[in-house]
Amino acid sequence: MVARELREEWQRQGTLVVNLLSSPGAGKTALLERTVEALKGRYRLLVLEGDLETERDAERIRSRGVEAVQITTGGTCHLEAHMVAQVWQRVAGDYDIVFIENVGNLVCPASYDLGEHLRVVMLSVPEGDDKPAKYPKAFRTAHWMVISKVDLLPHFDFAPERAEAEARNLQPDLRVFRVSARTGEGLSAWVEALEQAREDLRTGVLK
Amino acid sequence: MHELSLLQALVRELEAVARRYGARRVVAFRLEVGELANAVPELLERAYEALQARHPLLRGGRMTLSWVPVVLNCRECGWEGRWENRRVRCVRCGSDRVGVVAGEDLRLRDVELEIPEEGFP
Repeated sequence: MVARELREEWQRQGTLVVNLLSSPGAGKTALLERTVEALKGRYRLLVLEGDLETERDAERIRSRGVEAVQITTGGTCHLEAHMVAQVWQRVAGDYDIVFIENVGNLVCPASYDLGEHLRVVMLSVPEGDDKPAKYPKAFRTAHWMVISKVDLLPHFDFAPERAEAEARNLQPDLRVFRVSARTGEGLSAWVEALEQAREDLRTGVLK
Repeated sequence: MHELSLLQALVRELEAVARRYGARRVVAFRLEVGELANAVPELLERAYEALQARHPLLRGGRMTLSWVPVVLNCRECGWEGRWENRRVRCVRCGSDRVGVVAGEDLRLRDVELEIPEEGFP
């Protein structure tokens, strides 16, 4: 119920909200650092950082000159809509895009709707291409998938086609991006897609 | 891993239902557990026991779990049935324009309440 209210409020304001899910260490913060770098100045951005403890990830985003709020769950393995709502009440402002970096975990966060318009699941090359079948809910409920750390492909036995096929077995409409936050590969397609999604939300194409 | 917090949300739902009907106790309810709901029945049961101790509304109340397998519906040919090989794809025509019509959620069903005579609105 909380999630639905949040989604409607954000929709009215034209604020695109993206919920980012992955295992720990897949590179969510690194991708966000590059993403906000590319979008800032043109869009009003906010990043909500979910973690069990510490302000570290929020500080990484702030060092890029973008507003970030840390949500420490104190041990809970996922974010829930009421935690986001609490923070939102405090910051509520005019934002064009809000990124929510969920707690690093491919299991529990998949079960909680945060009111987001886009759910993005990330899978990094070192994790292996068989993850989608092992964590079906995360991939089934995602709109987009980001295969991250593609600069490492030459060093790992990871077939992006296989990862994509496995994920599409669960979510045929999944849109896939291949990126490397380190080299910048694939970033422009990802950033353009986000800009398009923001536009689609404003014009009512994306709900 | 997160069954307790799933059930906490369920208890809030039960409380709302009980309030609506002026009930003093939940006698029984059924919880449908989807194959893709990411919830383990055993852990749900353990979490329910823990919550029962804390919520007088649930005292002595019975939770029955029923397992719901994934069911697909094909928007291309109209086929409906269980998925095969854990693929969201039509078993009859092979199309991937299919919806998941069951097996993704946790659903609260058949709530039985104890309502004092003067309580019913």
